[in-house]
Amino acid sequence: MAKSKVNSTYLLMTIPAVLLFFIFHTYPVLNGIFYSFTNWRGFGDWDFVGIRNYINVFKDTRALDAYFFTIKFAVFSTIIVNILSLTIAMGLNAAIKFKNFFRALYFFPNILSIVIIGFIFNYIFGKIIPPVAQGLGIEFLSRNILGNPDLAWFGVVIAAVWQASAFNTILYLAGLQTIPEELYEASLIDGAGKWKNFRNITFPLIAPFFTINMVVAMKGFLQAFGIIIALTNGGPGRATESISLIIYRGGLQGGEFAYQSANSVIFLIFLVTVSVLQIRFLQKREVQL
Amino acid sequence: MIGRKKTNWVITFLIGAGSLFILFPLYVLITTALKTPLELAESRLAFPVGLHFENFITAIKMTNFFNALKNSLIISVSAVSITILTNSMVAYAIARNIHRKFFKGLYFYFVSAMFIPFPIIMLPIVKQTHAMGMDNPAGIIFIYIVYGLAFNIFVYVGYIKSIPRDMEEAAIMDGASIWVLFWKVIFPLLAPMNATLVILSSLWIWNDFMLPLILLTKRTMLTLPLVQFVFRSQFTTEYNLAFASYLMALAPMIIVFIIAQRWVISGVMRGGIKQ
Amino acid sequence: MTKRTICTIFTILLIFAALPLFGAAQKESVKDKVKLEFFQNKEEAVGTFNELIAKFEAEYPNIDIEQNNVPEFATVLMTRLATNDIPAIIAMGATSDWAELAKAGYLHDFTGDPCIDKVHEGYFDQLKRQTGLNGLYGLPFAVNANTVLYNKAKFRELGLSVPKTWDEFIATAETCKAAGQTPFYLTLKDAWTGMVAFNALAANLQGDDFIDKRRTNDTTFQTRYVDVAEKMLTILKYGQDDNFGFGYDDGNTAFAKGESVMYIQGVWAIGSIQSANPDIEIGTFAMPVLNDPNKNRLVSGVDTLFALAKNTEYTKEALLFINFLLEPENAQYYIDQQKQFSAVKGAIQKDPVMEGIQVNFKKGLITGFPDHFYPAGMQVPNLVQEFLINGNVGEFLKIMDDEWDKVQQRQE
Repeated sequence: MAKSKVNSTYLLMTIPAVLLFFIFHTYPVLNGIFYSFTNWRGFGDWDFVGIRNYINVFKDTRALDAYFFTIKFAVFSTIIVNILSLTIAMGLNAAIKFKNFFRALYFFPNILSIVIIGFIFNYIFGKIIPPVAQGLGIEFLSRNILGNPDLAWFGVVIAAVWQASAFNTILYLAGLQTIPEELYEASLIDGAGKWKNFRNITFPLIAPFFTINMVVAMKGFLQAFGIIIALTNGGPGRATESISLIIYRGGLQGGEFAYQSANSVIFLIFLVTVSVLQIRFLQKREVQL
Repeated sequence: MIGRKKTNWVITFLIGAGSLFILFPLYVLITTALKTPLELAESRLAFPVGLHFENFITAIKMTNFFNALKNSLIISVSAVSITILTNSMVAYAIARNIHRKFFKGLYFYFVSAMFIPFPIIMLPIVKQTHAMGMDNPAGIIFIYIVYGLAFNIFVYVGYIKSIPRDMEEAAIMDGASIWVLFWKVIFPLLAPMNATLVILSSLWIWNDFMLPLILLTKRTMLTLPLVQFVFRSQFTTEYNLAFASYLMALAPMIIVFIIAQRWVISGVMRGGIKQ
Repeated sequence: MTKRTICTIFTILLIFAALPLFGAAQKESVKDKVKLEFFQNKEEAVGTFNELIAKFEAEYPNIDIEQNNVPEFATVLMTRLATNDIPAIIAMGATSDWAELAKAGYLHDFTGDPCIDKVHEGYFDQLKRQTGLNGLYGLPFAVNANTVLYNKAKFRELGLSVPKTWDEFIATAETCKAAGQTPFYLTLKDAWTGMVAFNALAANLQGDDFIDKRRTNDTTFQTRYVDVAEKMLTILKYGQDDNFGFGYDDGNTAFAKGESVMYIQGVWAIGSIQSANPDIEIGTFAMPVLNDPNKNRLVSGVDTLFALAKNTEYTKEALLFINFLLEPENAQYYIDQQKQFSAVKGAIQKDPVMEGIQVNFKKGLITGFPDHFYPAGMQVPNLVQEFLINGNVGEFLKIMDDEWDKVQQRQE
């Protein structure tokens, strides 16, 4: 079969976007990467330092610890948020009363600003759970878990998932719309139960959305910054220091811009690798109708 | 046609129970906004003694609320609307040509940008926009549209792949150009995705703090997220005023959501696609 | 592909390209008026400065001062520097950012300007140490203080008087504990609050040449900070049950409601405490770190200094404004409103709450914040917090030395 020519309309639809994107996004990225080979502080004079910044990142145990924490946090949060969002989306898609009201309500956490979320969860973990736990005799919850270096990360997971779930729920809801009613009806006639419905109809057909959600969630949690600042600021000690937090604090407030740029580049490579692997793995499972 | 479905009460109950996790913070948010600092110190949970609506008035004055609201609206509405019109078009072109190397490459090029951490581009983009005279609302709108490409293409392409080609093929046979085909056939079919991305883009842009912070240099250009900081001095946060302000800032987003979410479930989808 | 389509696409592109022009900044050409930007970092001081600016502009009608206060001061300052958009007049803390600005040559050197006579020279030393330069690149305006706040009513109740030595200090805490009251409400969930005590201890125990010697690797934290670390652990013993579960806001409220007898915080917390409980009687004293009462120094740092961009067009007018702010009556107005201490001669903080530390200012028993001299990228607060949790002195001091070396090396 001869290769057909690309319809030039398609090219016209895309080329301008590509050019603009290159100018306003790719070029700054290249710029930023360039600076990671210098010792620029964001202002003033600078010199080339080659790969010294990169070597320093690998020597920086604080950064390496941050990578461990970030990965642990992101994996857990991604799994939990996807299970939760899909469940909620299915619930919101079912024949429930006050559908629109609930949809608006479940959307709510995502529009709240970080300050509010920090305020609320700090309060819950600090002043609500401990007294209740003490009353019930649950030892490890009797103090603010955000003050416990071993448990703090879990508190952050809860808050992060709470906030992020609305985003994923919306995406799953959209995905659920693509499944035709008839399939469920046919399956009903065949006498299939709810779980079978899910496994054989729902889940395969929303596969593209599953991929999107997993990738987006993972990427978002790996870059977690605001929620951590709001809840623990990287503490207790360094227990919840994420990569983004280290980069921001060191780079913007610590005047170590070039060094943290190198950190960012390494982080970028890491993110891209994880996501590409994720996409390839998950897309193999997608069903094309 | 199947008649009205019976309400599934079990799920309704579960959803209702789950919503407590959201209603509780909402309660804290609203009651805090109506308290005085003294009452707040007393108890964060108690119902306010008097309803101090004056917190809202104070908040409006302190943040120059309506000016910031105007700025946020202009930026968000412009950016979101142009984004939907343009990004969908680019995604369509890519989706329908994904089998070709060039377009596949474009896909990965755009999508990979989602993973670029902001600190890398932060200072370079500031320098660039300043040099090009774009450190103003128009410039920032532009940046939002371009930066949105990464995520939006990712999502749109995923969705478009599931639209069968028969309608397009039929239209082409009728002599329609691709351009017409896109606007008359595809774009309407994208309604649920358009609505979804309207919601998600609005969310991002409305609440975005970083880009306005570093790109907008004049005080009169400040957007809502930036003016919220007027309540946070170096060592204290006036929570009651801050929350009053947030509540007011939330309102437009809620409206957007309520309107847009109907389209996410638009009936056009069901019948039209999976014949 | 019709011509029409091409035209449409082209138009769209044009609109895109032209968008920036719509917003092109309109340079204001106001003749005869000098416009100066006053970039100020404290949100809570905006109102006070507005009043002072109005007063100034009444006196000098041809000078227009525009106060600009934004969130995330450090970030914005950095991005503005990247575009060479340096504000003419800056009011900020004596932080490492400021020191970096000075070192990079962006700031005006005040040496020789008449206005420096209005300020207590004692602070110049601190500032020069920070930048490591000989010139004076910032004029101190307001200074803060790390204190120990105490509930006067409770002190009377328990028959306590203000401790003057470390031993008395701990004895006071013991008395509180024995009486079933919490001596200190610790807010160690917010790592930075631990630095209040840390700085007070370090300032008095590290030896005045510590920073210089550490910079040349002639001494280490492991050598000089053992006592500091151990005393921190002692304080921990006198906190409330969940030292790490509560943060700054909780602490202010708790202390205000009488949940502890003393509270280790800076003067900046007073306002917040009073708004939670206007009836509370607060007293202050400098943490008595040493057993010689005459040697205990209060940690006081420059909270606000004025800096001037070197290359501004209107240096003369800017100096007029700074001069104005340094007038005793204006400086007094500022500290009365902001509850701070002044670096300006003739402006005295008279608030009865701060009586307890005025003596330090009078006698000159003041010293700077040690952590302001550490390399900026070190991110110390979390390290201290971590130490307080696991209590391992040796490990902590080694980490401090390692991090110092690492950051210093990265910045060469």
